[in-house]
Amino acid sequence: MFRITRAGDSAVAALNVIGYKPGHSLLHELDPRTKQILVMILSTACFFGGYYFLGLVSLCLILCFILSRIGVVRTFRQTRYFLFFLCFLFVVRTVTFTERFVPVFTPEQVQSAAVFCWRLLLIVLMGVLLISTTRTADIRAALVWGLRPVPFVNERTAATMVGLIVRLVPLMLVQAGEISDAMRSRCVESRRKPLSRMSRFTIMLFRRAFNRADDLVETMQARCYNEYRAVRILQFARIDMLAFCIAGALVATALFS
Amino acid sequence: MDIIDIRELCHRFPDGTQSLADISLTINSGDFVLIAGANGSGKTTLLKHFNGLLRPESGTVRVCGVPVQDDPLAARKNVGMVFQDADSQIVGDTVYDDVCFGPENLRFERDDIERRVKTALAAVNLGGSMNKSPHHLSGGEKRRLAIAGVLAMTPQVMVLDEPFSNLDYPATATVLQQIQQLHRGGHTIVVTTHDLEKVITLANRLVVMDRGRIVRDGSPADVVGEIDAYGIRPPCSVLLGQGIQPWLR
Repeated sequence: MFRITRAGDSAVAALNVIGYKPGHSLLHELDPRTKQILVMILSTACFFGGYYFLGLVSLCLILCFILSRIGVVRTFRQTRYFLFFLCFLFVVRTVTFTERFVPVFTPEQVQSAAVFCWRLLLIVLMGVLLISTTRTADIRAALVWGLRPVPFVNERTAATMVGLIVRLVPLMLVQAGEISDAMRSRCVESRRKPLSRMSRFTIMLFRRAFNRADDLVETMQARCYNEYRAVRILQFARIDMLAFCIAGALVATALFS
Repeated sequence: MDIIDIRELCHRFPDGTQSLADISLTINSGDFVLIAGANGSGKTTLLKHFNGLLRPESGTVRVCGVPVQDDPLAARKNVGMVFQDADSQIVGDTVYDDVCFGPENLRFERDDIERRVKTALAAVNLGGSMNKSPHHLSGGEKRRLAIAGVLAMTPQVMVLDEPFSNLDYPATATVLQQIQQLHRGGHTIVVTTHDLEKVITLANRLVVMDRGRIVRDGSPADVVGEIDAYGIRPPCSVLLGQGIQPWLR
């Protein structure tokens, strides 16, 4: 369940992690297609890149966070649930059991689990950077461009679905934070059965999420929302070429190091 | 000229509750209509029929002479709706994006969209906040942003559902002034509220709803004396015997 240190911070905290943060940094100025392609290429490279590549990508990401004025520490704090999940994965991949169920740790397993978690973390951080520095409308426009050549896929419908999800996820997180606050203000912690707490929370969350989704659909319909709305005009610039060159150099380190 | 014409409109919720019964109402171009009623009287449900967000059980709703059911998109272009909860209406990542949303849906040219957004934001005094995140605006600013989002679509009618709910005094005063300016600029205005005090002096017509029916319809001066019976508090000045007085000084 969500635990927010200060009441009322939940909504803004949720939007800070998931949502777009207005700005004029280099990453903000990059073409959304460039950002999406780079995230795909670098994410794939993360799965086979060695320490040298992962280290370089980590440094680049830290630099990107600083340039975009998105606090690295704050991002870690706000994605702490994912970090807990990573810790869980680390433990699961580190421990093996003998035939007599005795847990065994080996340095190789620890090393392998650490690299696996490092890779996942880098991919998630790239996603956070993409969403934080790209407007939803631009993500949609880039998807329409990218999916156009794919046969049997209506690129506008697909892009609309992604756009709606991007809009709905922060709303759901806001709802979760508000429900959690409301339940804690009525001393839900004093209930002994965690399952009962969780079931009440989940039922409320789904009910409110569906209601909010209905409201959102209604307000969008009132403003004539449709699949064939005007798409933002996208334009590659020199900075995109530079970004591709840097990404190319990074991928080369993954291939040849 | 009739801009909205409703004939014998009935609506029922999926659980069977009759929310609107036999509503007939005509709104003329340039009117400022105040629809008042207690909670659950059917005000918001009625508004949602103006632009086809709900389908009637029976009866017809015409906007600019065209039945809403035949062409809901045309109705939505002509009737801009500002919802009670401004947060649920905000869909853009920035103030600029949010105001763009309507014109982009209507597939205007990019230059036209830019012009509309700038004009709409200037009209609600948010021109300097284009690149701000809407979620960081104050309650009053969010309400004005919701109005700008609708204004950018240049509708003939502006429908505002409880526009002063959850606003403090300065924000209420600003939104009230914006509504007054919109009416002076030639927009037809429909406002729903259960708190008549703030807006009654601007309206030229007061429609009272009770349990899904229109029970009074006339000039505010004629109707205001009877609203107490329908769960609506008359303005203080009326209670003190001073007639209808402006809320803003």
